[in-house]
Amino acid sequence: MTNSKSDYPALRARLYGVWLRHCRVYAKNLFSNCLPPFLEPLLFLAGVGLGLGKYIAGSMDGLRYLEFVGTGLLVTASMFTATFECTFGTFIRLEFGKVYDGMLAAPLTVTNLIVGEILWAGTKGFFFSLAVACVLMLCGVVPFPQALAAPLVGFLTGTLFATLALLVTAYVKTIHHFNFFLTGVISPMFFFSGVVFPLSDLNRPLRMVAELVPLTHCVRLVRAVCAWNYPSQLWWDLLYVLLFIAIVGACAVRRLGKRLID
Amino acid sequence: MAVISVRNVHKHYKRVLAVKGVGFDVEQGTCLGFLGPNGAGKSTLMKMLYGRCRPDSTPEYSINLFGHEPNRDELAIKHFSGVVPQDNNLDEELNVRQNLMVYARFYGMSRHRAQARIDELLAFMELPEKASEKIKQLSGGMNRRLVIARALLNSPRLLILDEPTTGLDPQVRHLIWDRLRRLKKQGTTILLTTHYMEEAFRLCDNLLIMHEGQKIMEGAPRALIKANIEAFVFEPMGNETVFSSPDRPLPPSVRREECLGVTRYFSDTLEDLKSLCDHVEDGQYHLRHSNLEDVFLKTTGRVLSDKQ
Repeated sequence: MTNSKSDYPALRARLYGVWLRHCRVYAKNLFSNCLPPFLEPLLFLAGVGLGLGKYIAGSMDGLRYLEFVGTGLLVTASMFTATFECTFGTFIRLEFGKVYDGMLAAPLTVTNLIVGEILWAGTKGFFFSLAVACVLMLCGVVPFPQALAAPLVGFLTGTLFATLALLVTAYVKTIHHFNFFLTGVISPMFFFSGVVFPLSDLNRPLRMVAELVPLTHCVRLVRAVCAWNYPSQLWWDLLYVLLFIAIVGACAVRRLGKRLID
Repeated sequence: MAVISVRNVHKHYKRVLAVKGVGFDVEQGTCLGFLGPNGAGKSTLMKMLYGRCRPDSTPEYSINLFGHEPNRDELAIKHFSGVVPQDNNLDEELNVRQNLMVYARFYGMSRHRAQARIDELLAFMELPEKASEKIKQLSGGMNRRLVIARALLNSPRLLILDEPTTGLDPQVRHLIWDRLRRLKKQGTTILLTTHYMEEAFRLCDNLLIMHEGQKIMEGAPRALIKANIEAFVFEPMGNETVFSSPDRPLPPSVRREECLGVTRYFSDTLEDLKSLCDHVEDGQYHLRHSNLEDVFLKTTGRVLSDKQ
């Protein structure tokens, strides 16, 4: 009955274990979880393509309006899903379901748990981006096959916003406080990061602010992928995204770790 | 030989000192029980063992479990230990088997090995026909048995249980006690916290009574009773002021004690207590051996502290 081995699983297996737990729970409600990511871009096409789009004749950064916003949608879908997963989702696992209490009794460290969480949010970012890409490619809004590479940017975007959301979650006392983060940070980012109109329309100070927020860089990366055109300035965007993930991710692990260990 | 040894651990939260210099040893294949009122520091102490809670870094403290220290070998300790936390925390989205499958992954068990082990454990905890039930459909007792099964997945050498049977019906409680005794026989070392004196008495080889973060007493259940309280108790149920009136003094061997509205009379001489019975109607009193609860109430105080 008693096991003689004390060799616990390797890091990769531990992270995979956490990832797999989230994946299993997500897949449990396959229909209700996997249909909306496809429906949302369809709604967008109907609302903007049939409605609003008629009134916008000019091109934006050389793209038709539908194409301009559509490419942006490839990363905002990732941003939203990762943000919700790592704010409300994480908070519920932390405070209400006590899921982490169970997981931390298994051979997992707090860091394993949080990094697994981030990787899962990145995966969801990939999947949501893929769903948008599929719908928009079928309707000819984004180019095939280039847009097939967009989910890679979706993964980075999901990972990035997971680190930010987890850092916020580390400080949040009640679940209602997330409203400030969503309305005060995420929504403005959606409107002022070059997703719905080009940054060149902003005045200089606002443009500088837009350069500081992460979504701007994700949008630029995904548009470059769709156009299959990689200017050398794009390295800065990629560097920004990677550094953001590393630095904010490290802070999130530290702060949330303190909350999880008495 | 002691396989677990803890020396002089402290833990404070903000300004509250939750654990004050507690230490103990546990031998392989034995069960140590932690008794104490709510807020005595029992759960904190359990969490320190598997790294969920860091003790204060006082210079002379030490924690050693099977040759491992929690702050260095957290993963190794969690790998050979099974933990049953105070609150059930199963994944409500997953069914019984899926819950265990996901958890088996954390131990790096292959799918095949996990399946076999899960069948074995569901049978052991008498849940075999519940494998595909949803967690929400399980009763409180089934939930608890499932959490215990989960803790047993990796055949732990050490089982840590935080109030394993609180709030369960007598049948389930007896089933759990039986299973824990079987595990102990197979060599599993068990640590548990409890409020149930009966549980402590039936399961534990040794007990540690805690109060306000400190160890106030330690020993085998029978020895604790013998050393700390008179052998017999007389407990009248109605108005008992008759016994202590000035014209009828108590026999000298009898000690009178009032606790939360109940008065009890303790003595090592059964005859002296029997003499008290004559003043009470038949069936309106208990005359019994003293038990752990009497020791517990005597040692942890008779009034509620603000933590309870």
